Amino acid sequence: MAKSDNLARIIMGCKAGSAESFSQLVDIYASRFYGYFYRLTGDKVVSDDLLSELFVKLVEKISSYKGGSFESWLFKIASNIFHDYLRGKQRRRKLLEVRKRQLESRITEAKKSDSERVDKLQIQLEKLDADMRELIMLRFYSQLKLKEIAEMRSEPIGTTLSRLHRGLKRLRELMER
Amino acid sequence: MNGRNEENLKELFEKFLNAEQTEKAVEDFRTAELIFREHPAPGPDDRLIAEIKSEIAEAVSPRQVNVFRRIAYKTAVVAAAVIVIAVISVRLLDKGGGGPGRATASMIPEALWESDDISADDVELVILTAEIEQIEGEVLALELGENGGNGQADVAELEMELIEIESDFWKG
Repeated sequence: MAKSDNLARIIMGCKAGSAESFSQLVDIYASRFYGYFYRLTGDKVVSDDLLSELFVKLVEKISSYKGGSFESWLFKIASNIFHDYLRGKQRRRKLLEVRKRQLESRITEAKKSDSERVDKLQIQLEKLDADMRELIMLRFYSQLKLKEIAEMRSEPIGTTLSRLHRGLKRLRELMER
Repeated sequence: MNGRNEENLKELFEKFLNAEQTEKAVEDFRTAELIFREHPAPGPDDRLIAEIKSEIAEAVSPRQVNVFRRIAYKTAVVAAAVIVIAVISVRLLDKGGGGPGRATASMIPEALWESDDISADDVELVILTAEIEQIEGEVLALELGENGGNGQADVAELEMELIEIESDFWKG
């Protein structure tokens, strides 16, 4: 309760235009959203851009936040930013470059030691379809309940559960190979 | 990453799956959580965080200045509105039969008010009187329609607009 009260105070500060309050939100959310973007794009430079864009959008849109789950609201913005990124023509070109880099890293991956397991997860995630990958990212990088994720995706919770389970099962199989 | 995981996965899955399938599904979830914990994503650089905070501070500061500016403008408009409404009200009361300067007489010593030689009594009062006369002249011109308008209706309309401006201000 104290945590949510504190968050409510920070959000009020943001609405009043306090740079300090926005700074606190950056401290709270930057790592998780960076992880979310990184696991979706597999590229640190792109993740840097998307994270910056997220907080720019946060400043622009904070007045439109009318209550409810703030995290759900923020992840919805992050998801839109990611989809905009995918849609942009120029950005698609960048994605292709990223893919190329990923392929190159996949080739060299076999030569790498076991300590570089971060790359292994990234490579296996790339084998899942985009929607499933995003659903898994929402599950692991947000603190949203499954019901909230289902609401965010405008689908019944049964659909979310079933799809998430299939994705995780597939990921587990890929990681165990 | 753990806060939301307090929810009861077993209970959720049991609504859709049988006991055996539920057990397997929950196990798949737990295994995946373990995989993610063992493979943490890289974090953002400190430099990136500093840049983001700096951009935000830059984006937010003009907004604060604008808020203050907007409040200052609104205050000025309301102050002007109050003065004009007061002048119009005094003028309308005067038309109701009251003697000239009745409203201000109570604020000024009687001897001073009744003196015929104002300039000798108080220079500031002379300036104030001149300003009031000028405003009265403008209001009178409005009432008589000398400005090409509709006389009393214009005054009433002006009053309504001023009341509306004041009302809008208090509504925010």
